Amino acid sequence: MHELDGRRRAFDIMLRGRVDSVLGAIQDAEDPNDNVMIDRTELALPQEDIYEVTTAGGKFVGGSPGLTPDLLNALSSQRTYSYFNFKVKGKHYRALEQPGMRVIDREENGGFRRPVKIIYAAPTYHLWRETVEAVRFYVIASLLLLLLTGFLIAWFLRRSMSPLRELALRAERVSEACWEFDAPAEVLRTRELEPIASSIQKLLNGLRTSFERQRQFTGDAAHELKTSIAVLKSSVQLLSMRERTAKEYQSSIEGLLMDTERMEDLTTRMLMLARAEQALSSASHVTDLSKTLHVVVERLQPIMQLRRVRITLPASDNKSVRIEPESADVLCSNLLMNALQHSTPGSEITVCLEERGDSVELLISDEGKGIPQEALPHIFERFYRADPSRSRANGGAGLGLAICKAIVDRCGGSISISSAQGLGTRVQVVLPGATASPAQ
Amino acid sequence: MRVLIVDDEVRLAENIAAALRDSSGFAVDCASNGTDGLALLESGNYDLLILDLMLPGVDGQGIVRIMRARRDATPVLILTARDERDRVIGLLNAGADDYLTKPFDLGELLARAKALIRRGKGVSHPVVTVGRLRLNSEEQTVHGDDLLVDLSPTEYRILEYLMFRPRAIVSKKELLEHLYDFRWEHHSNVIEAHVSNLRKKLRSTGVLAAVDTIRGRGYRLTAPGEI
Repeated sequence: MHELDGRRRAFDIMLRGRVDSVLGAIQDAEDPNDNVMIDRTELALPQEDIYEVTTAGGKFVGGSPGLTPDLLNALSSQRTYSYFNFKVKGKHYRALEQPGMRVIDREENGGFRRPVKIIYAAPTYHLWRETVEAVRFYVIASLLLLLLTGFLIAWFLRRSMSPLRELALRAERVSEACWEFDAPAEVLRTRELEPIASSIQKLLNGLRTSFERQRQFTGDAAHELKTSIAVLKSSVQLLSMRERTAKEYQSSIEGLLMDTERMEDLTTRMLMLARAEQALSSASHVTDLSKTLHVVVERLQPIMQLRRVRITLPASDNKSVRIEPESADVLCSNLLMNALQHSTPGSEITVCLEERGDSVELLISDEGKGIPQEALPHIFERFYRADPSRSRANGGAGLGLAICKAIVDRCGGSISISSAQGLGTRVQVVLPGATASPAQ
Repeated sequence: MRVLIVDDEVRLAENIAAALRDSSGFAVDCASNGTDGLALLESGNYDLLILDLMLPGVDGQGIVRIMRARRDATPVLILTARDERDRVIGLLNAGADDYLTKPFDLGELLARAKALIRRGKGVSHPVVTVGRLRLNSEEQTVHGDDLLVDLSPTEYRILEYLMFRPRAIVSKKELLEHLYDFRWEHHSNVIEAHVSNLRKKLRSTGVLAAVDTIRGRGYRLTAPGEI
């Protein structure tokens, strides 16, 4: 519509131009009445256009060659002095009626003024055709442009999405068997993808560590169990290799019983560790650590007497911490048992229990031979035995401290061990007190 | 034959040692960690090493590597509680000869131990013959032609060791080292007495083979007509 409007305006201007041309062609007819006439020789107008020139008095001066009575009629019927449309024999015309003033013989006494009226009409089908053509051109050009833009956008998207595709491909390659994930350099250069890549990497690393630990534990547990079974099996097979005396059978059965008890102990500890590591902490439990310590020491009396080691406990005083009673018991007995095992006969184990702000600190110091410096970073690892000369038979399964760490970690506390070789070992456990906000 | 067991699981080592002593009359020493094991390997002459993989001190793989670097050709049987194929392959490549996974069958362990000892001496079958003398290391019997030669356990072990190394001169010290573990006091005249008895018993069944004394060097087993 806009296009048509523009073209109509241009058409109108053209009409006015043609009217002026016609006006220019009006000549003095050189007759006594001082009439005017149209000199068509100078006019170069389209064949289809029609015009009619009349004097102010309505006298017909001249018209275009193709002026038929029908057209003449149509032209004369209008008296608007402006633009108008009409239709003759199915042909649409647009016309302009305009008065004009023709000055003739300007050189001689100022010339004569001859007012005329010109009606000029031109068929408008050009207008329509041109509009349609222009619109068609615009549409085709737009379509082409659109297509080109589409291709460009697609190409650009493909290009800019390639890091994402690469990232997805790499991520897809990660599996339980293959944890390798290195984000391509292109991805790391992309500002929007870099955080995604690095968080995937971080997540994978965390998962891998946890998987590896789990695998390590399964492997270690299998090793311990298989070894225990190997002992039992070989003992039984040895016994049945030949006829034995009653006394030999007796001592073998005692040995077998011992082996079985060790295996039972190992299984219990492994299950305890698994529970301590997996169970969720229920922060609602509050235990008096002081009372637990007294109960545990009471239970350890026989071993203390056997090893001639004394345990000094602080006076009974309510020290409530956020920990389940059973866990507190396991923690205290494991730590004290460790201290007992490493103490030299006649020495003393000192236990301190103090409130420090929101938490409670438990200190267990022995006067044993201490832990070698190089072993300290590993003591909380499962199945780790600090002293290589102590065989499994008397060194336990190497799970005690791992269980302690799991328990302490779970209730949001911390455990650390310092040791001076030849002087003794000190275990420091910090647990959240009953007043502290529950651990997450 | 003398065997060294290196295993930190003392009860298991004791059981294997008892089985080896009982069934085959082997001399057995035990070490509970890698460091002790290496020291024993250096000082003693062993016909077989039974080695646990996970050891305090030097681990099993380390021991194999060190002993092979020392050009110690003693056969090695690995005991492992982990079925980690890669590690087993690594161990065999490092110079171990065989492996068993725990828990194992004691009978299988004994059979493998004996096979490894035989192989270590270049003998592939449990029955060894020198001249008309035939020794079955499985049944621990000695036959001259088809006649059973009745030997005491120590006499049998001396003859077995000599028969595994026919025509080689075996010193008294070597015999002592291979027949007795560290639990026994070493007296070379014990060997002399046993060799003397062995000779008598062989002679009484007809001269099928002779234990020659090579003065100042040791003993040698020969069959008549061989030299």
